[in-house]
Amino acid sequence: EETGDDDGYEFGKGEFTEHACKYCGVSNPACVVRCNVSSCRKWFCNSRGNTSGSHIVNHLVRAKHKEVCLHKDSPLGETILECYNCGCRNVFLLGFISAKTESVVVLLCREPCLSVNALKDMNWDLSQWCPLIDDRCFLQWLVKIPSEQEQLRARQISAQQINKVEELWKTNPDATLEDLEKPGVDDEPQPVVLKYEDAYQYQNVFAPLIKLEADYDKMMKESQSKDNVTVRWDIGLNKKRIAYFVFPKEDNELRLVPGDELRLRYSGDAAHPAWQSVGHVIKLTAQEEVALELRANQGVPVDVNHGLSVDFVWKSTSFDRMQTAMKTFAVDDTSVSGYIYHHLLGHEVEIQLVRNTLPRRFGAPGLPELNASQVFAVKSVLQKPISLIQGPPGTGKTVTSAAIVYHMAKQGQGQVLVCAPSNVAVDQLAEKISATGLKVVRLCAKSREAVSSPVEHLTLHYQVRHLDTSEKSELHKLQQLKDEQGELSSSDEKKYKALKRATEREITQSADVICCTCVGAGDPRLSNFRFRQVLIDESTQSTEPECLIPLVLGAKQIILVGDHCQLGPVIMCKKAARAGLAQSLFERLVMLGVKPIRLQVQYRMHPSLSEFPSNSFYEGTLQNGVTINERLSSGIDFPWPVPNRPMFFYVQMGQEEISASGTSYLNRTEAANVEKIVTTFLRSGVVPSQIGVITPYEGQRAYIVNYMSRNGALRQQLYKEIEVASVDSFQGREKDYIILSCVRSNEHQGIGFLNDPRRLNVALTRARYGIVILGNPKVLSKPLLWNGLLTHYKEHECLVEGPLNNLKQSMVQFQKPKKIYN
Amino acid sequence: DDEVCVRQKVSEPDPEEVASFEQELRAVVQESMEQRKLELRGRPALNMVIPINVFEGSTKDHLGKGVVGESGDEALDEEAGGSKEVQVKVLVKRGSKQQTKHMYIPRDSSLVQSTKQKEAAELEE
Ligand SMILES: [Zn+2]
Ligand SMILES: [Zn+2]
Ligand SMILES: [Zn+2]
Repeated sequence: EETGDDDGYEFGKGEFTEHACKYCGVSNPACVVRCNVSSCRKWFCNSRGNTSGSHIVNHLVRAKHKEVCLHKDSPLGETILECYNCGCRNVFLLGFISAKTESVVVLLCREPCLSVNALKDMNWDLSQWCPLIDDRCFLQWLVKIPSEQEQLRARQISAQQINKVEELWKTNPDATLEDLEKPGVDDEPQPVVLKYEDAYQYQNVFAPLIKLEADYDKMMKESQSKDNVTVRWDIGLNKKRIAYFVFPKEDNELRLVPGDELRLRYSGDAAHPAWQSVGHVIKLTAQEEVALELRANQGVPVDVNHGLSVDFVWKSTSFDRMQTAMKTFAVDDTSVSGYIYHHLLGHEVEIQLVRNTLPRRFGAPGLPELNASQVFAVKSVLQKPISLIQGPPGTGKTVTSAAIVYHMAKQGQGQVLVCAPSNVAVDQLAEKISATGLKVVRLCAKSREAVSSPVEHLTLHYQVRHLDTSEKSELHKLQQLKDEQGELSSSDEKKYKALKRATEREITQSADVICCTCVGAGDPRLSNFRFRQVLIDESTQSTEPECLIPLVLGAKQIILVGDHCQLGPVIMCKKAARAGLAQSLFERLVMLGVKPIRLQVQYRMHPSLSEFPSNSFYEGTLQNGVTINERLSSGIDFPWPVPNRPMFFYVQMGQEEISASGTSYLNRTEAANVEKIVTTFLRSGVVPSQIGVITPYEGQRAYIVNYMSRNGALRQQLYKEIEVASVDSFQGREKDYIILSCVRSNEHQGIGFLNDPRRLNVALTRARYGIVILGNPKVLSKPLLWNGLLTHYKEHECLVEGPLNNLKQSMVQFQKPKKIYN
Repeated sequence: DDEVCVRQKVSEPDPEEVASFEQELRAVVQESMEQRKLELRGRPALNMVIPINVFEGSTKDHLGKGVVGESGDEALDEEAGGSKEVQVKVLVKRGSKQQTKHMYIPRDSSLVQSTKQKEAAELEE
């Protein structure tokens, strides 16, 4: 979702220090030595890890290398170990002797110097020759053994791996341990697991999955080129050229989002030279028109409107940041606390409590009063280094999160980092946190600065522009000049950039809370910041490596908020999804035994609507914070079969069809009935913005939009204002009335997308006042969960058929339920 | 203050691995010895004179006693763990030049023990 520009910044983190042990990564200078063989020069530590000999001794024996050099920061300084007498450098022959009476020692080789008779007559005591390598380890006082903590946090390498990598080094001295694990091109990637030996194994599993997803994303997006695009030109308030055009959405998963980068091209004609420019999408209109702000104003063929081409410019930024975060997690032992490191990898650690004085009340100024389960959540979270908060639909996740952030910020442990995978969620959180009176900076990707935001006044770029002090006048002058001319001279541009960066730093440093997307936490503008306390909302919708980006900035206390009973992250590459990339860190931590704190009072749904989801997805624990009276549709004349229960399952027998693209489904009968229901709602006084039509299939979504605008009984404009979307894109949102079109209706093929219980949960929990489900019970009743849903509707006399103005109880037979796993 | 208590089973190295590694290590040592014998016919010249400056002005510079490091920092000894370690001078050569470096070694290492015994014996005499 996020593209940024990381160019021109130095990345110091995440890199191996040169002297890190090539086996395990330990890099304490007191613990490592360098193999002095000129073709090798690798560093190794003096820890045994899981092997009988220490790493350096292992290497020397396996590679038959025999010389070493000490680290420059070790007590002896950068020193090649050699016999004091003859200069022999074979460490297998060297040992220390001491002077007879003085505190002086030297290295002496065993053959021949130790047996030179003349030495005995001198000051030296030869009887206590002390070999350099003792018990398969270097003398510990010469080369220290890394501490237990250092060893636990290092790569856990086995003797077999050592042998393999030593073999590999014989032909390729630059090979890494990762090369051992690399799957072949056609191999299935290694699947994710519950526990990892170390952060290197973690990286070995996730790095290839991220690569697969990145490659797929790139391929998908770059194949989206469109020719013969018609453009109209405009100029933005910042004097930048804007191109408007329709970028037809094919029947596939790719959706443009603000911030995406596109290239606009014109191949030229007699009157115009060939031209191209890159720009950012700043807006998408309801009519699926794209507004593209161009980067450069020069040479734009503004009198040409037809025959242009558009390409997608793919950026690897978000994937790069995930990879960097995983590397930092492995090699930088200040990236997260030891407790969090081991916990995330699934190691058994003694429970730790955070020693903090608890506030007397757990609510926060500017926020609604908290309910009991919210207070409990805030209280427990403040005392634990790792917490999970499960927020079922409508239970006030955002308010709870904001209260937690408020109290953490008041503890004076430095700035709090608040993230979520989506920009929408980050904006909502930023707004709520700001309402408590805390100083909030909302950091946006550079590419999204032109995208309008509901919390614009909190964004860093807005604050930079509006910082009202005289020292900033130089920046303001340059900014004005830039706005007027669109561009600056190169020396002014340099000055402008430097001033801007300094101002950005100043504003960011003075904030209590920084809010950004998970990927945004990898922004170079935050690279010198450390955050001990991190809260991630919607964490069940991000992949593990994405979640890791905000965590590796020094986290000691983390709070993951989400709901693993709703939809997880969207993974486009099937291979990566199959291998488990779609499983969130939240879910894995639940499986590891971290018990999520569940918010239990829902404020969204009419109590009749929350009953089934509560029983089926939340063990019946969901309580209603709204009463039936608060959800009465007074004045709305709609034919609910049971007046107190604003819900029904509308039996549909029409066949499903494969959509024109061949990759999706549609159902004409259902679409026609959706229009009738929508029209009935509109006639009874419901306004379009209160209605949401959701369906799991893009084919049906497009068909419904089209059908309603052509066949709607009322004004066309009314239907255009109704949101028709996929279940997935409706997650996190609500409407007063929801119409769900299930589409699938076939004899043998099953129900596809609908089989995912999490998708059903999301679909059923979007409505506040009422829900209508359209589907074929004969087909849908086979999976156990759907059978339960249909039975629930039937028992409450809400399973109906017939014309809308004369609905009758349906007697349709259900299938025998089967527990189906997808 | 990043203390963490990890309850992780310490995987003991496999005895077979220990045995085979020990054997390989011994082979390398043996091979090194033999190679040296072949390389060096005749005894090398002795070049083991302890440079006089090592002893100069350091009568208290005996094992186990307060040692003034090159920096003159007397706290060094304590920092390194007090009485568990003693400071020694290590003679190394940089090319043909001799250098003295300070190091701490455990008091109970055999290297120290023998000298200390002799020292004690000398004191008694
Ligand atoms: Zn080597
Ligand atoms: Zn090592
Ligand atoms: Zn020698």
